[in-house]
Amino acid sequence: MTKAIFFKELIKTRRVFWVSLLVAIIFAIYAIMCIRRVGTSHGVEHIWLIMLMKDQTFIDAIKYLPPVIGLAIGIAQMSPETQQKRLKLTLHLPYPQNKLIFTMICAGMVQCIFIFLIQAFIIGIYYYGVVTPEMASHVMLTTLPWYIAGLNAYLFTSAICLEGTWRRRIILSLIAIGVISVYYMQSVPQAYNGMIFGAVIFTILLILLSLYSVNRFKEGLID
Amino acid sequence: MSNQTETSVISVKNLTQRYGKGRIIYENLSFEVPRGRILGLLGKNGTGKTTTINILMGFLKPQSGECKIFGEDITCMSASTRSRIALLLEGHVQYSFMTIRQIERFYSQFYPKWNSEAYYGLMKKLKVTPEQKISSMSNGQRSQVALGLILAQNADLLVLDDFSLGLDPGYRRLFIEYLRDFVKNEGKTVFMTSHIIQDLERLIDDCIIMDYGRILTQMPVDELMSTLRRYSYSEGNLPSGDGIFSPWHTGNENEFYSFLPESEVRILLDKQGIKPSDLKSEAPASLEDAFIGLTGRY
Repeated sequence: MTKAIFFKELIKTRRVFWVSLLVAIIFAIYAIMCIRRVGTSHGVEHIWLIMLMKDQTFIDAIKYLPPVIGLAIGIAQMSPETQQKRLKLTLHLPYPQNKLIFTMICAGMVQCIFIFLIQAFIIGIYYYGVVTPEMASHVMLTTLPWYIAGLNAYLFTSAICLEGTWRRRIILSLIAIGVISVYYMQSVPQAYNGMIFGAVIFTILLILLSLYSVNRFKEGLID
Repeated sequence: MSNQTETSVISVKNLTQRYGKGRIIYENLSFEVPRGRILGLLGKNGTGKTTTINILMGFLKPQSGECKIFGEDITCMSASTRSRIALLLEGHVQYSFMTIRQIERFYSQFYPKWNSEAYYGLMKKLKVTPEQKISSMSNGQRSQVALGLILAQNADLLVLDDFSLGLDPGYRRLFIEYLRDFVKNEGKTVFMTSHIIQDLERLIDDCIIMDYGRILTQMPVDELMSTLRRYSYSEGNLPSGDGIFSPWHTGNENEFYSFLPESEVRILLDKQGIKPSDLKSEAPASLEDAFIGLTGRY
């Protein structure tokens, strides 16, 4: 049954998934091309110098992409459930309801994480080839909060779509904007290292928000 | 527990529901759906038919009252009980982003008694390919997909919310005939609503007729049609009181409906000073007539 739920979720999101994956790869290649351009014109030493002296990572191009991907996958996955109150069909399936919603959320998160990993892998491979492992790790740690922001965007979007009242949707949207903007307040690389663990825990807890929205739906608290 | 409750698939006791904190939809609503019967819930728009189904399926928390399906409280219905209930949502809502084959493959994983032949047998009647997306189909074709899925589930209870919505007469007839054969052959219990009463007349054994806030009657359709009478006369005022339904003046004729026999109606009219010399009594011509007779024209 879990396989069947994943099957349903993939049918809804597959187009957005492939487009997102393609865009993520293009952005990764673009970021690499930017670094290569600097390397070609000024030499690899210049990249090292800029990274060490000016705290630059050359990957700002991908900065806001993860939340956009999270938003797109969340909408593609959850909006068909809320159209015509199709969620009733899903909740009527002979499967424990909370487990069902959790499995759906997992299906979306797996897709987001897969895209983020592919992008991080491409960037990581390049960096580990041109700079020291310490500097490459420094770059990858800098991207981590952006990817967590992407997962947060996905989870908030899911909860907002599943929420039945517009008033709460607006409130949740404002909270989502506030939370996600926290991940972009500091532009210094690795500025968020101290809060990564907390951000991961918060992200896991955000899954409960979708369960809460569904429980409100079941109580009839909808427009 | 009474014997009636033991043989009931659905049991509703003292159900009260409001629109938010405002108008009462119904108060202390109680009814039972016996095993192996097809019961139609009839009522005008806004009397709470879909609300009742939403409550029964656990999509709406009732303000008070108790609802049980297969003896289980609907507020904490188990997955195994849900597997015994086939649900058709108003408008034949389905996963329209799937194809005919994908949706069958999806549902088949959840239902142990899944019968693919019942589904594909019905799909053969539609001029569609297994790879066709449900969203690209007409309303009528979508209704048959929804029906096919319900038949394939082979559930013990079928809950159908306004199955005739948006269907042309041909598809309504196809839906009814397929459903009737399946339900009668397999001895299933059905709880259904429809805004087209003629469709239900061909299908249901029992009916519940709802008015705003209450149940007007619950009885077998045959009994309703044989006991309800339409009375008409030309002279005098319209009667009122218990046992009188939908008094109505049209042209030179007064009419009303009642379950009372003619002799008792005459006594009742006499008490109200109405002494018609031409009182006529007739059975309602159809279930729709009986429905209008009990609920009124508007």
